Amino acid sequence: MRWMILFIVGFCLLPEPDAMAAHTGLVCSSCHRQGGGYSDPASRLNRAGGCAVCHQGHERIFDHAMGQRSGEEQFVQRSYARFDSGFWEKNCNSCHLKGCLDCHGEKGLAKPTVAACQRCHTGYFTGWDYSGRAPREDNMRYQRGIAVNGETFLKMLPDVHYSAGMTCGACHSMKSLAEGQKSSKGCRDCHKPSQKPLEHRIAAHMERLECYACHSAWAPQEYGTFYLRFRDQRMKEDFDLTPTSSAEYLRSAYLKKQDAPPLGINAAGRISPIRPMFIAYYTDIMTARNNGPENTLLAAEWRAYFPHTIRRGSVTCEGCHDNPTRFLLEPESRRIYNLKKDGLGLESFWSQKEQRVSNGSFMDAARYLRMSSKSPAYTKAYVEKWKTFLNHVENSSRP
Amino acid sequence: MNGVQVIKSRARQLAALFFLTILLAVVCAGCVVQKKAEGCISCHGNLEHASKSHSGCVDCHGGNSSSRDKDGAHTTLHSKANPSSPDSWEKSCGKCHRYQLERVKSTLMQTNEGMIRNIQLTWEGMDDHSYNSTGGKFFDAAGKPVEYDSVEHLDNLSGELYRKFCSRCHVGSSNSESYGAAHASGCAACHFPWNDTATYEGSDKTMKGRGGHSANHSMTPLPETQVCARCHNRSGRIALSYQGLYDGNNGLVPTSQGEAGPLMTSGARNLTRISPDVHFAAGMECIDCHTSRDVMGDGFAYRNMYQQTEISCEDCHGSSSVVPRFREVTRENDEALRESKSYKQPVTSGMRMIQTAKGRSYSNVFFKDGAVWLQGKKSGKLHRSKVITGTAEHTIAGHGRLECYACHSHTSVQCYGCHTRYDRGKPGMDFIKGEETAGAFSETEDYRMLFPFPLALNQRGRISPVTPGCQTFVTVAEADGSTSKTEYVAKFKGKQQLRFAPFYSHNSTKKAITCAECHGNPAFLGFGQHIVEGSSIKGTLICERSDSKPLDGFLTMEHGRVNAFSAITRENSRPLSGTEVKRTLSVNLCLPCHDKARDPIYRKGINLRALDDTLHRRLLSAP
Repeated sequence: MRWMILFIVGFCLLPEPDAMAAHTGLVCSSCHRQGGGYSDPASRLNRAGGCAVCHQGHERIFDHAMGQRSGEEQFVQRSYARFDSGFWEKNCNSCHLKGCLDCHGEKGLAKPTVAACQRCHTGYFTGWDYSGRAPREDNMRYQRGIAVNGETFLKMLPDVHYSAGMTCGACHSMKSLAEGQKSSKGCRDCHKPSQKPLEHRIAAHMERLECYACHSAWAPQEYGTFYLRFRDQRMKEDFDLTPTSSAEYLRSAYLKKQDAPPLGINAAGRISPIRPMFIAYYTDIMTARNNGPENTLLAAEWRAYFPHTIRRGSVTCEGCHDNPTRFLLEPESRRIYNLKKDGLGLESFWSQKEQRVSNGSFMDAARYLRMSSKSPAYTKAYVEKWKTFLNHVENSSRP
Repeated sequence: MNGVQVIKSRARQLAALFFLTILLAVVCAGCVVQKKAEGCISCHGNLEHASKSHSGCVDCHGGNSSSRDKDGAHTTLHSKANPSSPDSWEKSCGKCHRYQLERVKSTLMQTNEGMIRNIQLTWEGMDDHSYNSTGGKFFDAAGKPVEYDSVEHLDNLSGELYRKFCSRCHVGSSNSESYGAAHASGCAACHFPWNDTATYEGSDKTMKGRGGHSANHSMTPLPETQVCARCHNRSGRIALSYQGLYDGNNGLVPTSQGEAGPLMTSGARNLTRISPDVHFAAGMECIDCHTSRDVMGDGFAYRNMYQQTEISCEDCHGSSSVVPRFREVTRENDEALRESKSYKQPVTSGMRMIQTAKGRSYSNVFFKDGAVWLQGKKSGKLHRSKVITGTAEHTIAGHGRLECYACHSHTSVQCYGCHTRYDRGKPGMDFIKGEETAGAFSETEDYRMLFPFPLALNQRGRISPVTPGCQTFVTVAEADGSTSKTEYVAKFKGKQQLRFAPFYSHNSTKKAITCAECHGNPAFLGFGQHIVEGSSIKGTLICERSDSKPLDGFLTMEHGRVNAFSAITRENSRPLSGTEVKRTLSVNLCLPCHDKARDPIYRKGINLRALDDTLHRRLLSAP
């Protein structure tokens, strides 16, 4: 196993043929073929007319998620756009492909580094977590510590693949992105699950769970995303929040967490991490100050997703089997945040009621009940698991 | 008698009555305590009477009531508007309430000795003096005379921190500037009603709308929860947690009528609602549990609040083996009789008063008809206290060392990463010296959470929740802008380390945390949020200054070896040892089958060898 990892890592770290060198032999006009709108050979406007001569088909990346962002746009259409038709342009325009150089232009023409991807895949968006970064709270009081591209973060355990030096491209090849796929490699393309860990010997785990349901060490979760609209900029002064690129808006959240993510069912019918994306609220400050509506709940949507926080370890058995809150089945007696009292519309962020998974579903209560009932097989495995673990724990008087 | 005679006779009677009244007034003037207040009334006509027994002006306030002009009347006032402030409390409240004043002078809320000493200990600020807020002669817990230096003379960074940051919440000094945290100094800090904006809103037209005053002039002999919350809303934030309020992530949302919300308090912090303490939900206020000796002191100068506090959960609810104790009121000078005078139902002779942990009588908790009853001091509402002594849940072998609130805390507020910057080049208000001096503090923070919370051994050798206390990282900027300290972790108990402190969050719940939840989640042992990798427990939220140590914990486990890297403050406190961690986690071997507290195996220490007996082998080998 160790050799296999080293081999894969070594392969990924093989020196790239110098991308610039590959282009130095070319005459200028090979890329810069025409003037006018075509003068930028890598621009999206001409579908990368210069690049695509050789890199045929790669311009199709503009037709897919990173170029179109249709998922995000549709979300805005069914939420914030109901109150502000210009919301998308005002708040969501910083991350979309303008051309090949967005990713490949970092140091000459080169394969993108992790940092290049993280210029857009930052904050709450997957990729930032890969290097062990979780968003901080939005109040300026929490804005401290190291910042990358002006964005601060909480230091978290990084993804094991990141620690091994793998770049995003190792699993997300250009070819796969151009074809509109999320990735070129799944976990099992490289990893054959060992039969040694007890969890892997449980058939139900292997059939019904995504690998990353257990192996995501943590996940950023944003509970209650607030967009506050300021028609009068001066009113922003009362809100000591992180400034955004939007002149009209400030963004905040009710609560951010970054522990083991809740679980649900993804589009493939497998158990997967899910997270709010988004439980969206809207306040027009001017309207609210004139006794109009505020904190309007526009969506309570979750998404099944793949946190890039993979580690060899996982939570213990009861982290799922004795933890209804993780499936949004929080018992009332364990409720902490009293959302109704604060006028937030939902009973609890960890209650499935009035919430939905936009690309999957929640686990239904009956299924959870079955899963959490202590069958003889469960008991046996549970005791074995703890016994194995405890056999290695040293007795010591040291505190 | 004709009509004219009647009128004459009436006139004579009236004249006699008039002279009699004057005579009475003249005779009585010498024996009435109150001086006339006509002069005062000419301006403060509608000012509320402080109370029925405090109806004059001059006795409390000093001043000259016969003067007709403001300056003449006010020149000799005790401490301007607040005669109860420490510079004049001897002349005002202290004249009648000597017993209370002497206690208040040495209560921790006035001396702040614990706060000052703990800052010294954790900011490398110890020297060979003992400090408190005022300095002077006191009696320590053992009754021995002890002399303190004033914190004014604590000439290092820890002294600066106390004077410029922490001293705002101190009975000795008033605060009119902090929204939601404004209070008077001295006795009035607790016994006069202040509102969020420190503005007088009573019926005295002269005072109406004036800042820096109580909301009205009606004294409150029994302070309500809000009064305590004016100070106890920071650090441990117990008054917030108690009421079900949380200043957590400070997101300033949801908004309230377009302003930051939903509720706001000092320091531009917003408060969201969480589930309140079970006692608050039942209608109980802070003073329903806390005796006057807890808050006003008992005359001795204690080093820490846990030494001054005389109450415990067990007083009313019993311990696993001892039921609540009571003592009958037999003497006419019993404290409970005097203290309960303004309650709805004052204590009467013969009542059996429940005893505090220090063996003194509560004035509102009594034993009657085989049950423990608590009377709301303000509400008069009777609450029956559930006694847990001998119940299965509370007699689990091995749980004898648990504080009640280790299991019964619904949440426990934890602030991780307190990054404090001291700029020598900027001026900062010194609230003890009363002047601006060079040096200003500012703070940023990493992360806040409520649940789960870590447990460790406290000063009583019991297992208690602990909370960062504190994870301070100090940066000192010199006057020229250079930094002489950067994110510095101070030495504590001989080495550079962060600290956790034993803590009762005051957010208790009837339904305790379940066995599996606590034993199965190593976060409760101090490992922070984590994953289990082989025989290692790896934190996932990492301290910036390290590669692997959790920010939200104090233990790591590497290949089965438990290591503590932060200290637990207070004497005899410590994190659990490797053996104790192993023992706690070993319970997981029993829990899937033996999941009820009343299970016989929990009546004596768990025998893990039982897993190898025939019965268990048969059960566990089943397919």
